[in-house]
Amino acid sequence: MLNGNVKLYDELGELARYLESAMRKMTEVGAPMVANSAQLPQATAHLLDLNTMTEEGTLEVMRLTEIIQDNRARAAKELASVVSTLEAVDCRTLAARLGKTAQDLMHDEKHLIDIMTALSFQDLVAQRVKKLVTIVEDVQCKLVELVVVFGLNQEGTAPETQGKAGEMLRQLEASKSTAIKQDLADELLSEFGFK
Amino acid sequence: MPADPNMKILVVDDMSTMRRIVKNIMKQLGFANVEEAENGVDALSKLRAESFGFVISDWNMPVMTGIDLLRAIRADDKLKTIPVLMVTAEAQKENLIEAIQAGVSNYIVKPFTAEVLQEKLIKIFK
Repeated sequence: MLNGNVKLYDELGELARYLESAMRKMTEVGAPMVANSAQLPQATAHLLDLNTMTEEGTLEVMRLTEIIQDNRARAAKELASVVSTLEAVDCRTLAARLGKTAQDLMHDEKHLIDIMTALSFQDLVAQRVKKLVTIVEDVQCKLVELVVVFGLNQEGTAPETQGKAGEMLRQLEASKSTAIKQDLADELLSEFGFK
Repeated sequence: MPADPNMKILVVDDMSTMRRIVKNIMKQLGFANVEEAENGVDALSKLRAESFGFVISDWNMPVMTGIDLLRAIRADDKLKTIPVLMVTAEAQKENLIEAIQAGVSNYIVKPFTAEVLQEKLIKIFK
């Protein structure tokens, strides 16, 4: 009985030491991980910016394509009218040449529709980005749970600014806040003697 | 019966770019009477307020998804006969089966071409 108790206490002691060591390791590894996670909301915001940027670009290409489509439709109508006039006055050769040009324009119409449909890439990109954002947010929630469960100390843990991730985020932030517009670039260029 | 070029068409998608693409293709195919809705709820309120002959809907949308919109249309006595074409990035076999079971009229997987949309229109309105 006594031997049994001693063995049990030994095993309990070993288990306690193992637990303590695991908790210490968890704190060592967990604290920097939590510090790194501070970058996640910023990274998510940049991902969502990507959606806005591709959407704006896509809408502009669409606007221009629609202008070309309308102009082309007007030109085709005008050509058809000229072709009928020429046929009426028996200028068949000229009418046939213009008719051929009208047919070429018809091919362009298909190309313009193909440009419009190709722009659906933006929708697919946006959907994937949204899914990635959901994944990142989920990871962040799990990290918060980790902080709560293991009581990881966040105080005094400065947000991670070193390393690749920190550098990339700094670059992304800079592209938003400090990127100069062309007019300012031209102004600076002219100050340096560029004409 | 071929599609009436004057029929009112409702394009449902949360992405403005996709709505514009579908609207543009429909215009080029001779259907100029096209309206837009951003999600299923918005679409249902428009469908109940006006008379539409055709619905082209995305699947993944906030507030109310395309599949829920389809089920709501099929469950509504006044709307249930409206043909519904789903244009979606949900390209799993299970999605297609779910849509068929919910009463979809046809199904297009993104990205798609104008020819595919035209072909589906002909099939729906033949």
